[in-house]
Amino acid sequence: MNTPADGARATDSLEGLAYGRVNRPAGAPVPAIAVHGLRKRFGDKEAVAGIDLDIAAGSLAGLVGPNGAGKTTSLSMMTGLLRPDDGRVEVNGLNVWTDPPAAKAVMGVVPAEVRLFERLSGAELLEYAGRLRGLPTDEARSRAVQLLDVLDLSGDANRLVADYSTGMRKKAALGCALIHNPSVLFLDEPLEGVDPVSADVIRRLLTRFVGSGSTVLFSSHVMELVEQVCDHVSIIDKGKIVATGTTDEVRGGKSLQRAFIDLVGPRATDEEVLSWLGSSSS
Amino acid sequence: MARLLVQLKLRLLLNALHSSRTAKISFIVSTTFAVLLAIGTFLVLASFRGKSTSVDLTAVIFTVFAFGWLIMPIMVFSVDATLDPATLALYPLRTRPLATGLLAASATGAWPLANVIGLLGVTVGLASGALGVIVAVVAVALQVLFCIALSRFVTTSLAGLLRSRRGRDLAAFLIIPLFALYEFFAQVVPKATAEGKITAASFTGFDSWMRWLPPGLAAHAIQDASAGHIGLALARLAALAAVVIVFVWLWVRSLSRALVTSDTSTQSARVHGAKLPLARSGLRGAVAARFWVYQRREPLSLVFWAMIAVITAAVSASSVFGHNRHPGVIIASAIFGAAFVGIFHVNSAGLTGPAFYLEATALSRSRDLRAYFAGQNLVLAVIGAPLVVAVCFALAAAAGRPGVGVEAAPVVLAALGAALGLSNLFTAVLPYPTVKRAGTPFLVAAPGYGGYRIGAVLATLAGTAVAAAPVIIGVVLAASDSLAVRIGVLLPCAAIYGFLLALAGVRLASAAAVGKLPELCQVAMRSAVS
Repeated sequence: MNTPADGARATDSLEGLAYGRVNRPAGAPVPAIAVHGLRKRFGDKEAVAGIDLDIAAGSLAGLVGPNGAGKTTSLSMMTGLLRPDDGRVEVNGLNVWTDPPAAKAVMGVVPAEVRLFERLSGAELLEYAGRLRGLPTDEARSRAVQLLDVLDLSGDANRLVADYSTGMRKKAALGCALIHNPSVLFLDEPLEGVDPVSADVIRRLLTRFVGSGSTVLFSSHVMELVEQVCDHVSIIDKGKIVATGTTDEVRGGKSLQRAFIDLVGPRATDEEVLSWLGSSSS
Repeated sequence: MARLLVQLKLRLLLNALHSSRTAKISFIVSTTFAVLLAIGTFLVLASFRGKSTSVDLTAVIFTVFAFGWLIMPIMVFSVDATLDPATLALYPLRTRPLATGLLAASATGAWPLANVIGLLGVTVGLASGALGVIVAVVAVALQVLFCIALSRFVTTSLAGLLRSRRGRDLAAFLIIPLFALYEFFAQVVPKATAEGKITAASFTGFDSWMRWLPPGLAAHAIQDASAGHIGLALARLAALAAVVIVFVWLWVRSLSRALVTSDTSTQSARVHGAKLPLARSGLRGAVAARFWVYQRREPLSLVFWAMIAVITAAVSASSVFGHNRHPGVIIASAIFGAAFVGIFHVNSAGLTGPAFYLEATALSRSRDLRAYFAGQNLVLAVIGAPLVVAVCFALAAAAGRPGVGVEAAPVVLAALGAALGLSNLFTAVLPYPTVKRAGTPFLVAAPGYGGYRIGAVLATLAGTAVAAAPVIIGVVLAASDSLAVRIGVLLPCAAIYGFLLALAGVRLASAAAVGKLPELCQVAMRSAVS
């Protein structure tokens, strides 16, 4: 498992690099996602305090952390939706902030709070996403039908998105992110508020997507899920990556939940205060 | 229970004073308006003393108040939790004490008090003698109770619908007749009154049908008691009390049902034809297709179009209804109508809200953004141009000068091009997050961004007028030419000029937006559009 000290060394070794591209040894594979020195400050609060991350192609990677750790801010900067104060982000070797057209073309994004075009039907929404991405209309429609089918939304394809449940919205957003066949997919809390059946559909689709050599990075605070599906895990806390590596490396023989709590720190609780709580008390 | 719910209502009102600055200002403004309503209504009702039509006028005002109690709770349903029985359904409460409590809570606050004080103006304007004043006080109490019972019955009965997406959409459309009514009272009534077209005598005859409605019963009971017909007055008050009891009974039944019935929010609509139009028009076509569908399906878009028609008509109200039928006013209508097409669509990212991420992740080059703005403009021009031109023609026909409609058409085309171009430009350079205003379908600038909105509105309005000036000069110079010249030359020239203005706006806006897509996206993500 890499520790923060490793991270610091990694950052030191990146100094003096050519702008827009990270130097790496000749012949070394280009990571699907390469993040270096990414920072973002909102007023006095440093939301992301210089993170470094390399995700190999074909990985299903998890970015876990407590609420407010900087997961959403980091993902927003990685996907070109939030301008960083400093740092570099490359997707398949394409710099997200100096060459956005090329980088965006290979990315798919599902944000945490899924707000879609609610007055379109599911089928229209996916067709619109495809046409925005430059797909010919017939191809966009055909892929929309197939994706809706795989996402178990065929029966609701003609219903307005405004009438979709949270799980259906997440699935529709995933369909929008996949319709142009990106090679890297960024998902922010993809299973938050999703029922087990829909979660299983999403999980199977992601596994299949990664199996074809594509890459997924998703944020979550559900450790069981990350432990089950991810081959790479990074733990973020207070805007810094505190551990990163393969899932086995990060959990170090413990459950990921235990490793996470050990790293992030258990919350102090004063159970005496709630002595009245429970059926035996009045 | 009644005491508890009244205390809750008072606590909620007082908490507004200790809440955010916006809530505090909103509370103070609301209370100030309530005080003004109380004083204004009292003085107006009192001023009817001695007039032959005083009972008719009083009945009209009582009916207007009842109408207000009927409409307003439907519009503010989603922001007033006390109107929704579902908020209380989880508590182990019996219907009868709950109904009493809710009724008492409804009668608590600045607005109900303002109603009572204002309507007590009848003790001066309509009542005479001690008996008349006593009956007036009882009639006002029953009138306010009737308003509350009616309002509670309607909102509780419609609670399931109003909680649903479709119900909220329907409620949004209520703003259109209210806005038209406001414009009518603001633009038409003062002129008509000044010219003597509306007098107290205009209300004669209302009485023949209004006397049988509950507000009419209250007004006539006061008049009967003042005239010494106490038996008739008591009979009318008894009839009004019976109506109140019936509405309370219906409301309690409706409340019992609402507390144990599942809501309708899961009912949903299916759309016909699951394909977007403009399949062969590339990115511009895709944006236009989505925007076109939204103009039909989104209540706010439909409200905007209705308001554009009302604004276009209202600007020329004096031309149609006044003595000075000057055609120049219809040209002003053309400019205002076209300008508001742009004004209502300034800040496209903020109006789209968080869904803009889908577009932001796909658009990145300047040419993508040109297609984005051009696609939206195409739809707005296709709807806006015929709408504003048609209203101008209607106004010209109503003013007895149909030829002015022909003169207005080129002005509309030029002004629309300018307004759309400016709208695009301000979308790119002056984006701001939006929030939903309580009780209306409108999105307003988030706290701290009001200046952005005002700046964009005034600049679009002024810029549109200035840009349309050459065409207006052309219209004036060609006024003596034949219709063929005006239609055959001026119209296509104005259309080309408007197109070039819009094109310039699209190019400038896309050049400005391409470097700040992340900022536009953050504005959209911070907007609360639903």
